[in-house]
Order: sequence, then C-alpha cells, then structure tokens
Amino acid sequence: MSDDPFEAIKATFFQECEELLGDLESNLLALESGSTDIEVINAVFRAVHSVKGGAGAFGLEDLVRFAHVFETLMDELRSGRKACDEPTVRTLLRAADVLADHVAAARGAGAPVDPARSAGLVAELETLTHGGAAPAATTDLAEDDDFGFTPIALDLAAFEAPAGLSDLPDLPPLPDLAALAPLEAPMAAVEGGWKIVFRPHPRLYASANETGLLLRELARLGPTRVELDDSGLPTLDALDPNDSHLIWTIELDGDASEAEVRDVFDFVEMDCDLSITPLNAAASTEAPAAVEDDEEAPAEALAQAAAADLDIAALLASVGAAPAAEPVAPEPAVPEPVVAAPAPAPVAVAPVAPAAPAAPPAPTPTPSAPAPAAAAPVTIRVDLERVDRMINAVGELVIQQAMLAQRVTESGLARSSDIALGLEDLELLTREIQDSVMAIRAQPVKSVFQRMPRLVRECAEMTGKKVRLVTSGEDTEVDKTVIERLSEPITHMLRNAIDHGLEGPDERLAAGKPAEGTVRLAALHRSGRIVIEIADDGKGINRQRVKGIAVERGLIAEDAALSDEEIDNLIFMPGFSTATEVSDLSGRGVGMDVVRRSIQSLGGRISISSVPGKGSTFTLSLPLTLAVLDGMVVGAAEQTLVAPLAAIVESLTPDAADIHHVGGVDPVLRFREAFLPLVDVAWCMGFSDQPTALKGGVVMIVETESGQRAALLVDAIHGQRQVVIKSLEANYRHVEGVAAATILGDGRVALILDIDALVSTGRARSPSRAEMQMAS
Amino acid sequence: MTATVVLAPVLDLRAAAPLKAELMAVRGQALTLDASAVERLGGQGLQVLLAAIRTWRADGCALTFLNVSEALAVQWRQFGASPDDLSADDLSVLGEPA
Repeated sequence: MSDDPFEAIKATFFQECEELLGDLESNLLALESGSTDIEVINAVFRAVHSVKGGAGAFGLEDLVRFAHVFETLMDELRSGRKACDEPTVRTLLRAADVLADHVAAARGAGAPVDPARSAGLVAELETLTHGGAAPAATTDLAEDDDFGFTPIALDLAAFEAPAGLSDLPDLPPLPDLAALAPLEAPMAAVEGGWKIVFRPHPRLYASANETGLLLRELARLGPTRVELDDSGLPTLDALDPNDSHLIWTIELDGDASEAEVRDVFDFVEMDCDLSITPLNAAASTEAPAAVEDDEEAPAEALAQAAAADLDIAALLASVGAAPAAEPVAPEPAVPEPVVAAPAPAPVAVAPVAPAAPAAPPAPTPTPSAPAPAAAAPVTIRVDLERVDRMINAVGELVIQQAMLAQRVTESGLARSSDIALGLEDLELLTREIQDSVMAIRAQPVKSVFQRMPRLVRECAEMTGKKVRLVTSGEDTEVDKTVIERLSEPITHMLRNAIDHGLEGPDERLAAGKPAEGTVRLAALHRSGRIVIEIADDGKGINRQRVKGIAVERGLIAEDAALSDEEIDNLIFMPGFSTATEVSDLSGRGVGMDVVRRSIQSLGGRISISSVPGKGSTFTLSLPLTLAVLDGMVVGAAEQTLVAPLAAIVESLTPDAADIHHVGGVDPVLRFREAFLPLVDVAWCMGFSDQPTALKGGVVMIVETESGQRAALLVDAIHGQRQVVIKSLEANYRHVEGVAAATILGDGRVALILDIDALVSTGRARSPSRAEMQMAS
Repeated sequence: MTATVVLAPVLDLRAAAPLKAELMAVRGQALTLDASAVERLGGQGLQVLLAAIRTWRADGCALTFLNVSEALAVQWRQFGASPDDLSADDLSVLGEPA
C-alpha cells in the first residue's frame, strides 16, 4: 500500500467502489427481475451517491458528472415521481456499466471512457429524468409526507395574480397546498432527535452535491423541520452565484442514531460546516433542574432553548458548553454564525451502555436495560500483501512442524512420550492456524459472478439474442488465488454459451422454446473442491459438425468411432480451433483448449455434458485454494510423491490374479466386478525403466474429474499429510503428470501428482503383460 | 413595465450564473418569474432566487412568481424557504417603481 496517505485513502475509495458497483449491479438486476422494493431503489441510489461523493473528494470530475446524472434519475425513481419501468432499468444497467468504466478509468485500470458512449447515456438518463408528461405535476403530495417533512400551509391567495397584472393569462389550477396541515410550532422542541446546523461550502456544489438531496436524506430518517437562514445573503448584484451564503437548521425527530445522521453528510463533511447536537441537549443545558421537577417544564424549557437556537451563534455556544466535555469558556459573541465542524462530533450526550457491570448497583438500575445490540460483523481492510505474507509464514510453519515431527519419529521416541504428544497438539494447532489463515483469504465467488451480467448484456447486444443470466451459489467461498483466475475462463465460456450455444429468438420460437435464452452460472462446493457450472438451454453441441471439423483438420481419422462424450471433448483439442486468446468472442469450441489449459493450470478440470436441442453444461472443478493440499504421500521408485487425497477412492494390495491385459498390452485391474486401467506411476513418470513389482506394491483407486476411475500402482503408501503447494511452473516448468511440488518434513522436494493427466497419458505408456511378468 | 423571465427546468449550480445574469438584465422593473417549467431546484438556484427577491424588494419593484410548478413549491418548502417569498410581492402594496 502506498505510503502517501492521500493515495492510500484513494485506494480505499476504489476498493469501496468495487463493492458499491457490485451492490449496484445486483440491485439493478433485482429491479430487472421485477423487484418493486423501494429499499432496492434506495440501495441503488446510495451506491451511486457514495461513488459520486468519494469521487468528488478526489476531484474525479468525469466520474462525478456522470454519477450526478445517474443519481438524479435515481432520486426521481425513489421519490416515486418516475416509474421504475423496464426500459428505465435497462438504461440504468447500461449506465451502471459506464459508471464502472468511469471508475476503472479514474483508477487507471481501464481505458478512458468513450466520451460519445458516456454522453449518450447521460442524454438518455436526462431524458428519463426530465422527459415524460411533467412528472412533477402529477406528484402526489402525500408522497412528500413519506419524506417526513412537516407540511406547511401556503397562502393560496399569494399565488393569485397580483393586482396590476390583470393582463396576465389565467393561472392554472394551483396545487392543493392548503390541504396541508399547518406547521404549529415551526421549531417546537421534541424529545429525542437531533438538531443539525448545516452550511454548505461552495465546493460542495462544485463537486455535484446538492443540499436538497441531503435535506431529503435527513427527512428519510424521521420527521424534520427545516429552517433556512438567508441573513447572510447579499443582494443579487453582489452575489457570486458560485458562492454559498445559506445556512440550514434542521430538527430531526425520531430515533435515528448520530451515525445515521452523519452518514447523510458522509461525503460532504469536508465541504460544509456542520453541527449535530441532540435536540434535548439544548433543553438540559438551559434548564436542567426544571426538567425533573415539572412535567410541563421540559417542553417550555425546550421551547425556550429552541427559540434561543434560532440564533446559531447561541446554539454553537451551547454546543460548546455541552456536558461531559471539558468546560469551555463561553464565548457568547461568535462573529461567524457557523461551526467549523468536520472534526469529531460535538455531540453533548451520547447514549452509552453502562460500563463496568461488576460495579455496585447504579442509582437507577435498569434490569431490563437493552442488552448490547447483536454485534454487527466488524471488518477491517487489510492489504492483501500482508495476508499473503502471513499465509507464506504459516506454510513454512506447517513444513517446519512436519520436519520436527519427522525428526522426532526418526529419533525413536515412543508415540506416547511427552514430546510426541506435544507434537501432536502442535500439529492440531498448526492445522487450526492454517485453516484460520486460509479463511481470511476466502472470498465469495460473487466478486467474479458480479462481472458477468454486464458481459451477458454486451454479448446479447452484439449477437442480437435475448439472454437471461441466472446465477446461484454466489456466496460460495474460494481462496482469493483461485477467484482471481476464475474470471477469464468463465468469461470465455459464457461468451461461447451465448454466441454459439443459444439460438436466436426466431430459431428458439420455431423450436418451441421461449425467445429468451437462459444461461445459468452456478457455484457449489463438492468434495472439497469448488464446482462452477455454466449451462445454457440452447441447441447443444452439433456433434456431426464437431466431428466433421476434427476430421477436416486431421485431428481424428475419418472412420474413427467416437462416443458422444469423446466427440464433445474434441472441442478441447488444441488445433480444433485457430484461436489462442481466451478473450476471443467466437464459436463454441474456439479457444476451448486455452480455457482448458487455464483451468488445468489452476489444478482444475473441465467437462461437458450436452443434449442436442436442450443445451450444454460445462462443469469446472477447481481446488478451493492453491496454497495447501491434503495429500497421500507415496513412494515410487525411490521417489516420494504426493497424490491429492480428494482423488483417492481407496487403496489396496493387488493380487496378481486380478491383473489382466487388454489385447495383451493394456493392463487393467479387476476391482469389484469392474476393470480399471492400471497405471504404473514410476514407469509412467520415467523414474524407472522397470515395471513396478506387483508383489509388495500398492494400488490406489483414483477418480478423475470426469468420474473415470483408474488404479495407480506405487511401491508404498507412507501416509496422509497436508502439504504446502509450491508451483512447479513458477519455479521450473510444466511437467506432464505433475500438478505442483511441495517440501516434505525432511526438507526434500516431492512432486504432487496430476491424477487426470497421469491416468490419460499413463494408459498409453503402461508396461505390457510381458514386462509386468518380468517384474513379478 | 413588467419583465418576464422563464425559469429553466433545472435550477442548479450550472443554472445559477445564467439566471443571475438574466435577472440582472431586467433589474429596475417589475418582474414576473414564470416557474411553470421548474422541475428541480438546487441550493444555488434557490440562492439566486432569494437574492433576487431581496433585491427587487429593496428596489421597491414587484417580483412575482407565476405558474409555480408543484415541483418548485414542494422543493421550496423542503428547503425551508418561506412560502411567502415564493408567492409574490403584492404590487398593490409595493406599487410601481418610480
């Protein structure tokens, strides 16, 4: 993280933007799917408002301008002046995309936003905001009550054409403002609530914020009374329109917390003078004794206080003299009727939970006192680098612990000795620490899934298809190392699903399907791995065509007899397509070899299931983390290897009678009425030019990602262990049949087997019957 | 003579300076502000209007709001501004300027 505090804050802002944009997208999608919950609209507004507020603080003008127009439309929607119809939501979704582009551009993580595209959307948003049949004229005044403003009676006569203007045309019917209840006591005192004195600085407006919105936000917290002080306003000729001379005093009733009130001013606190004080504080400072003695006194005292507060200087003086603070010498004559305020709350009395429960009973014991509210999850932002350092350190700890355990074992100490028992405890503790540390980096796949609706929209637009994206399992957690690398393959497969999996609307209708195609993106945990499924309800893989292309390109013989599954898998063959970039938007099958490689580099597998006319499902299976692995340590030709535990079904000592050879060549193991390919690990890996002897050897029954089973023949099984994965590719290069490496307790490097690769390539390299017989 | 100024639909920061210029151009005469199109009132638009009301009042000229849109009336009230200011100066009281 940058040492520059400003840059650090800015980096935090952009992190928050990511979350806000994610919320924005998901809430807009909720609107798109028919949600009418006002809270959803409010959440969209808040997200845009927060982005704008932060952007204003950092002078990101383009972003502020765009967000402002967006926010204005959202304000219309949440006030009910504009209907949240389908075209509007579609525009909002596209606006959210452009907003994200603006954020990325401001962050330096994306190309500058195309001005024409941005301006086009600004125009659309403004049209939606101002267009239509005079939405303001149709506003139901009752809606304003929702804002919590206390109605004010307006003198209708005042709206009538004044004498002397008889030449003016007839006035249109006036709003029924008289129906509103009169404000009985403009600044009457109330119990609870807050008094807010607010003077915006010119830069508040310059950063596209607006007092009106702030006042409205306050009104959402409870009933408000707003008083405007324009005494500092010069005459028009002396007025600089960009300057700011107005001061507002707002009394907010209700039980809103100070934090909620401050949240309203979250992004403008540096651009205004602000004072937030409890409403009842003024009364208690004015007449504390009377409050207890006379029931009527509080109202009177508060009224007096309120009246006194009309003088802002007096208010500020009273704030300064608030209890629980160091006594401040009263300064009655404050020339500037404003408080300089972004500093910590000048709040006099904040409700604080009674401290020290073990203390003697308080004078006013409250057995039913509200228990501390259910603690909301408290989070902190931590630089990822720090977490990575800790993960590495814990990885080393695990290795050291394993080395220590091995040394103790080698020393011949009894398993029941204190040292051995202590080591066991240490192992448990190490495991716990490791799990906890890994959990820190675990993130829901939501962050990846959230980017996909936009992709789907853009692909649908490009291809002229109607597509609905349905996601599930967004909260499934995976290590950040995996999350970061999930995006590209998913992106490519979604593009393929839309581009070539789904039919066009006409074709779908002709096939008796709805015009809108559905693409499902799901995440789930299965057997200690994360499984991502991308399914479409399109036409399925055209096997005849796939086979034709494979024959055409010389990938398979023309008369090759392939199962449906084998034909489907042809699309993963390098050379099936000419594309090399994962990011290409092209036909299904194009670039799928690249997708498979990227999945494999994550230690994952990809499989297809396709039904003609019904659609296709691509399934990715990936490890939850790339940092640690539960493995079975085995020996093969003097080498120590690690087999991922998740792939092992069981292990057994083979009987020579159970070994058969298909066609005299390919060895198979008879295992529970099934024949499994037998893979001699040492032979296949090239560790030995002699087949492994069956006698004394051990077989591990493993299952590949596609569900295929095989038997791996090794010399011995040493035991189960959690190992810290060290990338072989990063430190050496890719080796066929090897997924990664690790460091064992004795300090030696052990290779971690890539079971699928071993099974698929090992079958072709297994020793023949004659060779095996020689070994036996 | 009465000048008429038609207020823009959006009276925000961007509209404040042009509005001031437009109003200053007709200073010294009775003024009618056609507020029928106003949809959104910002803090700085409000400031210009309040300053204009104050100025016209000091000049002894009438300033009248005409066709006040409901949006303006509502937002004016939300700002806590006096509804009396929004209504009009009564020409019969103020009289025509000399």
